[in-house]
Amino acid sequence: MHNVVIVGGGPAGLSAALAAAAAGAPVLLIDSNSRLGGQYWRNSVSELENQNEQHFDLATGLLLINAVKARKEIEVWSEAQIWSATNNEGKNTLRVIHQGKEKIVNTANLILCTGAYDRTLPFPGWDIPGVMTPGGVQSLLKGHGVLAGKQVVVAGTGPFLLPVAAGVIKAGGEIVSLIEANKSRRWLTSIIVILENLSKLKEAFYYIKTISQGKVRAQFGYAVIAAHAADNGELESVDIAKIDRNFKVKKVKNIKCDVAAIGWGFTADTSLAGSLGCKQVVAKDESVVVWVDSEQQTNIPGVFAAGEITGIGGSELSMAEGVIAGIAAAKFVGCKVDVLKAHRKRRAKRQRFANALIKAYPIKAGWQLWPNDQTTICRCEEVSLGDLKFSVEELGATDSRTAKLFTRCGMGLCQGRICGRSVVDLVAKELNVLPTDIDRISAVNRPIITPIPLGVLAQGE
Amino acid sequence: MKNPDAIVIGAGVVGACTALSLSNAGLSVLVIDRGPVASGTTGAGEGNILVSDKEPSPELTLAIRSRNAWFEIDTDIGGGFELEAKGGVVVSRSTKGISDLKKLASLQKENGVETIELDASTLQEAEPFISKDVNYGVLYPGDAQCQPMLAAAQIIRAVKKRGGQFIQGENVIKINSNAGSIVGLTTDKNTYSTPIIINATGTWAGEVAKLAGSYLPIMPRRGYILVTSPAPKLINHKVYDADYVANVASGEADLQSSAVIEGTASGTILIGASRERVGFKNDLNIAILRQLARQAISLFPVLTNIQLLRAYRGFRPYAPDHLPVIGEDANVLGLWHAAGHEGAGIGLAPATGELITAQITGNVPFMDPMPFSPKRFKGGEHVAV
Amino acid sequence: MSQSEIQFTFDDKTISALSGQSVGAALLAANQRSLRKTRFNKDKRGIFCGIGVCFDCLVVIDGITNQRACIIEAKPGMKVQTQDGSNA
Repeated sequence: MHNVVIVGGGPAGLSAALAAAAAGAPVLLIDSNSRLGGQYWRNSVSELENQNEQHFDLATGLLLINAVKARKEIEVWSEAQIWSATNNEGKNTLRVIHQGKEKIVNTANLILCTGAYDRTLPFPGWDIPGVMTPGGVQSLLKGHGVLAGKQVVVAGTGPFLLPVAAGVIKAGGEIVSLIEANKSRRWLTSIIVILENLSKLKEAFYYIKTISQGKVRAQFGYAVIAAHAADNGELESVDIAKIDRNFKVKKVKNIKCDVAAIGWGFTADTSLAGSLGCKQVVAKDESVVVWVDSEQQTNIPGVFAAGEITGIGGSELSMAEGVIAGIAAAKFVGCKVDVLKAHRKRRAKRQRFANALIKAYPIKAGWQLWPNDQTTICRCEEVSLGDLKFSVEELGATDSRTAKLFTRCGMGLCQGRICGRSVVDLVAKELNVLPTDIDRISAVNRPIITPIPLGVLAQGE
Repeated sequence: MKNPDAIVIGAGVVGACTALSLSNAGLSVLVIDRGPVASGTTGAGEGNILVSDKEPSPELTLAIRSRNAWFEIDTDIGGGFELEAKGGVVVSRSTKGISDLKKLASLQKENGVETIELDASTLQEAEPFISKDVNYGVLYPGDAQCQPMLAAAQIIRAVKKRGGQFIQGENVIKINSNAGSIVGLTTDKNTYSTPIIINATGTWAGEVAKLAGSYLPIMPRRGYILVTSPAPKLINHKVYDADYVANVASGEADLQSSAVIEGTASGTILIGASRERVGFKNDLNIAILRQLARQAISLFPVLTNIQLLRAYRGFRPYAPDHLPVIGEDANVLGLWHAAGHEGAGIGLAPATGELITAQITGNVPFMDPMPFSPKRFKGGEHVAV
Repeated sequence: MSQSEIQFTFDDKTISALSGQSVGAALLAANQRSLRKTRFNKDKRGIFCGIGVCFDCLVVIDGITNQRACIIEAKPGMKVQTQDGSNA
């Protein structure tokens, strides 16, 4: 029997690994971090109780992580980075950098659980040291025990802002401003969603309690639209604007801070899936995600996907999808097992919740007016909005791909992971058109998934 | 522009340079491309403007003039495409390679190419990080570099400012002639009248020739380029193994590669070069990437810890005799071809434009264009329209 | 389970870290927010995404450029330096 190979050790990957192993399939779990848990269950070597304080349901995460570690049918490669993945007539070849050397994994059966990262929007000063993402502040705190700053602004949109703010307060930091761009009432208006997800309400109240204990009041309908540096070039203050429902600026005030954690939902990391040739589609929140069928199988037989890369939906949906993918993958390699109705029901329920969240926290086009011509859009290559406009107006670029070739936007080290989505929107705005799905999908095309030293490349087979 | 003096099909670097040349000669020019500027081979080009890789031949004459023409264009249109007189260093580590290189360099010198021989110590001065086992090289101060996509875009921009027009997104479906002479063409959206059409469609030049009822044997030759993460300045010139020159003339389908390495203005290092005849196959051949990395490290061991960031591939358009096709069609008057430049398209584009323009306007071309004439393809099918 | 302290250098300073912490986290704890200057505009950059995706937190570690401080674990005796542009 062949191995089930799983990429990604977050909620989806861990769930898939346990489900596949329980079904009788040996598993190889490849994860790029030093500790399992993915982004969602970031943890560190520090004392357990402290960690539980930072995190509402780390207990669940630790349960899965320890279960994975305990099963001898699951082999784990940590700190393993896949730099290239190709699919050739039913065989998937993963080229992995593990412990300084390259390892080749060939498998007919693969589950991709590569997760997501904070989505960011460009604004003047967003590249000043001190401006971060909520995920970054969270990772520093939960993964490394470091509070990013003493006077913290938390902003953007989405329920993720709450645990980040709560974490800062529990760690002794001051939240000088907690602002949410959208009005929070929206998802509460769906009764079914509330009744199905009472535990989510409990979680929300937990954070709200923490935040109010920190004497912080969240404000709705506000956004950070600019950041300013002190003489030393580091973050000193941000401009917070009251915005209308289309994110257009109404009134602005300046707030002093040393860290601004700003996040606008999430972007799925589909590089690996795309590299293999999996079909990608554009989801309702305009993110590019991997298409899967009802058993989490992509358009490539034997290649499954679960978690955020099939659609941003949170950890519980990821776990439900991971279980189904693990069972389906085990079935694919010959185990006598099937996806149960209960599994599908659970996934459907969590999918409804995820859909409600997407509706509640949209990102409106008014953000495109926040950057000015001097604002850096591509951080890696220092390409400004003015440079992008020039490529459209003067050099004749009529899509984001051509604008990229003319400006180097998206050609730097992060290969467009940070700027890609924004560039598609900004170029389309210059052209007065709507971005096409092709624009969005081509922006995530990355055959080389992570940089690899030439020496390692040279030595491989 | 429904009745331009000339239509250029293809907004790559060759089409752009030809349009500029014609425009500067006073013709009204329409450039048509079914995609954006530089969406073909130009968009995958490295930006090489070389005089070093050609033996004394018509192609070398073309290359020398073209290289100088690039700097004239730079001044004429106000730059904006990172043109740099970088210089090239060709090296060899084998006895035969060194002796061949010496012979070639001295012949090139007699024919107007500036060459400077480098021994082990002057080579180390020119390229401090080159492998210590390289003892001989030739410096070609004439070799230059540009950013090809920006070059094509800036030139088209200049053409538009001078009264020309660029239409993007129209696909030519018919080339119309009457009594053996061009009268115009039809795209999927419009029909245009003109007595002169220039086929600058690179790898698709054969297909376009067919639309006119004529014939042009142009085939694709795939090549990869590795791009590193931004790195410290380690490499001062374009540096290549002498093998690079031999590679170009070979007809073998198998993978051929040799080391071609240079830094860029943005800090990345470009590593080539490979040649395969696999049609338009689009897959990523990992074996080639490894081979290119090995060759690069062999020449510059310091590259071991520099990271590969991305790789891209392009399809060089070539004719069976590996010479570009520049001239009037064998069968259809008024149809001019400017294609098949293989790996030298960027370098040779300006001079190509000049040769075409001189012949169209009845002026004396700077060299005899006969060696590049499409009439040299005997035995081609004349397909009746 | 307590964490042991290790030390590394950042330019001319000695930085303490708890074992398991990333270079970036330890530097931030020591109030070092700027890690590099960009190639063209020489702008200061520090940790942005914190999870290894954005490649902004680049430092030179033991002579090798483009190392992501936020995901590389601090090891005793590491020589970490500000990355100035892309030059070591």
